Amino acid sequence: MTDDDRSALDAFGLADGIFAAAFSASPTPMVVTDARRPDNPIVWMNAAFLALTGYASEELLGRNCRMLQGPDSDRDEIRRMREAVAAARPIECELFNYRKDGTPFWNAMTIAPVRDRSGAVAYFYAAQADMTDKRRFEMAMRGTNDELERQVDARTADLQAALQQKTALLHEVDHRVKNNLQVISSLMLLKARRTPEGEARDALQGMAERIGALSTAHRMLYSAGDVSRFNLQEFAADLLSDLSAGLDGERTRLEAEVDPLAVSAAMAAPLALMIHELATNAVRHAFPGGRAGRIAVTARRDGENLHILIADDGVGMEAGAVNPAGFGRNLVEMVVRQLRGTILWEDAGPGTRVDIRVPLDGGP
Amino acid sequence: MTVAPAMRILVVEDEVLIALELEYLLQDLGYVTVGVAGTSAEAIALGRSTSPDVALVDIHLIDGPTGVDVARALSADARTTVVFMTANSKRIPEDFAGAFGVIAKPYSERVVASALTYVAERRAGGRPEAAPDGLSLAPTA
Repeated sequence: MTDDDRSALDAFGLADGIFAAAFSASPTPMVVTDARRPDNPIVWMNAAFLALTGYASEELLGRNCRMLQGPDSDRDEIRRMREAVAAARPIECELFNYRKDGTPFWNAMTIAPVRDRSGAVAYFYAAQADMTDKRRFEMAMRGTNDELERQVDARTADLQAALQQKTALLHEVDHRVKNNLQVISSLMLLKARRTPEGEARDALQGMAERIGALSTAHRMLYSAGDVSRFNLQEFAADLLSDLSAGLDGERTRLEAEVDPLAVSAAMAAPLALMIHELATNAVRHAFPGGRAGRIAVTARRDGENLHILIADDGVGMEAGAVNPAGFGRNLVEMVVRQLRGTILWEDAGPGTRVDIRVPLDGGP
Repeated sequence: MTVAPAMRILVVEDEVLIALELEYLLQDLGYVTVGVAGTSAEAIALGRSTSPDVALVDIHLIDGPTGVDVARALSADARTTVVFMTANSKRIPEDFAGAFGVIAKPYSERVVASALTYVAERRAGGRPEAAPDGLSLAPTA
């Protein structure tokens, strides 16, 4: 240490005393340069600064701090730092610096001018921090975020593709089911056409009509967008229109009063079969021999239950012609059992009343 | 009631059983089936040679979902009213490819009957109130 250095440090109070002891022992790398000597040489540094840069104190004293810069140090950041020093402004900056052994590190520093009693800038004081780990962490985080984002994008694309596939598949299956129902119905009707009038032909036509009822249910099932619910009112209107079309409107009237109820899709087919069967039964058997009358179908919500009432003012069950094989009635009872409901057949005098209650949400 | 000549109908349907039963039904309803086509090429050729009053066109044919092209080709002839008959209404383009409407499968005999009655009335220049249920009209129909 030259005498000049010594006097400089005396002036700064770093040659000895409490500050000198505190700064020298500080774990924060610190350096002081002499602003009054040419090229702002280093006149003091602490042990932490030596540890950070890898130099010995005699290699640093009397030299400008730019000795730490290297090929990858940011020129703009260096210019910003020089301008602040020239203007004697405090500055915070972060530079890519190099140790004695050539290894680079991110050096974050605060540089502040130190003025003498007259107010002239006498020294610059700089405290450093090694930001390499922080930078590396940030880079890693950025990399991780990019990677995560890429993974999320890829996953989203996969899911979208899978959803598109599933939607296409659903449409395909829906189309096939509907088409097959049409084929089955056509098969039955074609066979009926080739069967002589009589019981066999009636049975085939009856089956085609039952398939028609299922078809009506299925047609409505996926048309409204909601695949899980089924509009009973729309369905009943369609089904009973089909049935009415075959009636002599003057003689037999079919009236429906069905609330706009959304029932679970799983109940659609059994309800379709049941309502079709009961209404058809009434049409076929309640008014023999040209007898006039009306059939009323009502369906409404009653608490947790769907309450369906099918009433006619015809001849009543006892008087009615014996239903061949009683298949219709059997079918209705099976369906009600499947829906965990109850059914009551009553002779209403006149006519027949069928009272059905099925739980709306406890369905299969 | 004036006796108009029965509507001449072309059936474009790849399912033989559906086509055959439909032919019988059309006959029962008093219409004349001028031909049955299972492919788009057949359908377009039959359309040219017969100039039907009505073409009932399924969308899925033997050569794929080509019913839309068939509808476009057949409806280019102003004498022909095209009605889709399909279980795949989602494939119908917004302009209905020139078709008048669509009957959704599975259809019932009643729907076919009332739809054709409605088409006949419209072709005769009538303005019946609303389309029967089961027949959805194209936006321009």
